[in-house]
Amino acid sequence: MDNEQNLIQRAQKGDHDAFAALVDEHQRYVYNLAFRAVKDENEALDITQETFVRAWTALPNFRGQSQFRTWLYRITTNLCYNRLPGLRRSLADLGDDVMSEIPESESAPTNPAREFELNETGNYLHQAIDGLDPNYKILIVMRYQQELSYEEIASLLNLPLGTVKTGLFRAKEKLRMALANYHSEEQWTIS
Amino acid sequence: MDDLLTPNEQNLIIEDALRSYPVATMPKGITDLVLARIRTETAPRFQITRNDYLLTVVLTLVLGAILFGIQSLPVYALMQIRIQGILLWQSFLVNYRWLLPLTSIMLGISLAGFALYQLLRLRRG
Repeated sequence: MDNEQNLIQRAQKGDHDAFAALVDEHQRYVYNLAFRAVKDENEALDITQETFVRAWTALPNFRGQSQFRTWLYRITTNLCYNRLPGLRRSLADLGDDVMSEIPESESAPTNPAREFELNETGNYLHQAIDGLDPNYKILIVMRYQQELSYEEIASLLNLPLGTVKTGLFRAKEKLRMALANYHSEEQWTIS
Repeated sequence: MDDLLTPNEQNLIIEDALRSYPVATMPKGITDLVLARIRTETAPRFQITRNDYLLTVVLTLVLGAILFGIQSLPVYALMQIRIQGILLWQSFLVNYRWLLPLTSIMLGISLAGFALYQLLRLRRG
């Protein structure tokens, strides 16, 4: 992180190489976030470029009050909101009826006999995640891939904390239904 | 098989799937594209276009024509123009003096609005 701080300071002074290193470091997750939101490779590529160009322009104003990556995600989110005006509304419409903490487990217990089975189920669930609405996918990407806290996500998306929790809870419920369907289909095939 | 999965196991599998959800495949060369844009935006190359030459020629011709016109006018006509100019200015000062503060206020509001707009755009960043 010290290294990143150093790169940011050099980039603030106009060092292109330092900024290139920062782009290399963060582009994967910025692109991922944009792609999950807009569902189009070219559009996501355009948003990623625009994010870094805007970051370069605004870098002298970056005071390090938030993490650099969170700052970049904020720019990306704003660009996504500009391109998809309905996205902000559909995120806000998720409501905030889930106010309690959502239980999260570390990882599934595995044994050699079940590993193959779990992989198959995992692949099926990944397809189910692909089929979710972009608003759910944005929340999943921020929480499970970018590993941001609920508070950070709420701040980035400019949403109440309850809405973020509700969104993630509903996404999991949809996946739980998909899992139930998968298993009933499997049972049907076996019988 | 459904019977074998408890709600807790279901939760574990879903959590695992969420954590292992693959990151989208990255197109190559984003860094180069970004750097190319930054270089063109931060250091615009000084370049004289054909329009610049055209504008220079037109301005030179117009200025030359005005100077030539003024020099060719008889002294009497020049004095008349000067007198009319003074009369026009005096008439403005007497009848339309209120235009001066009004124009200043309007200009100030426009500048403040423009500055506010730029500031908001920068903050939305």
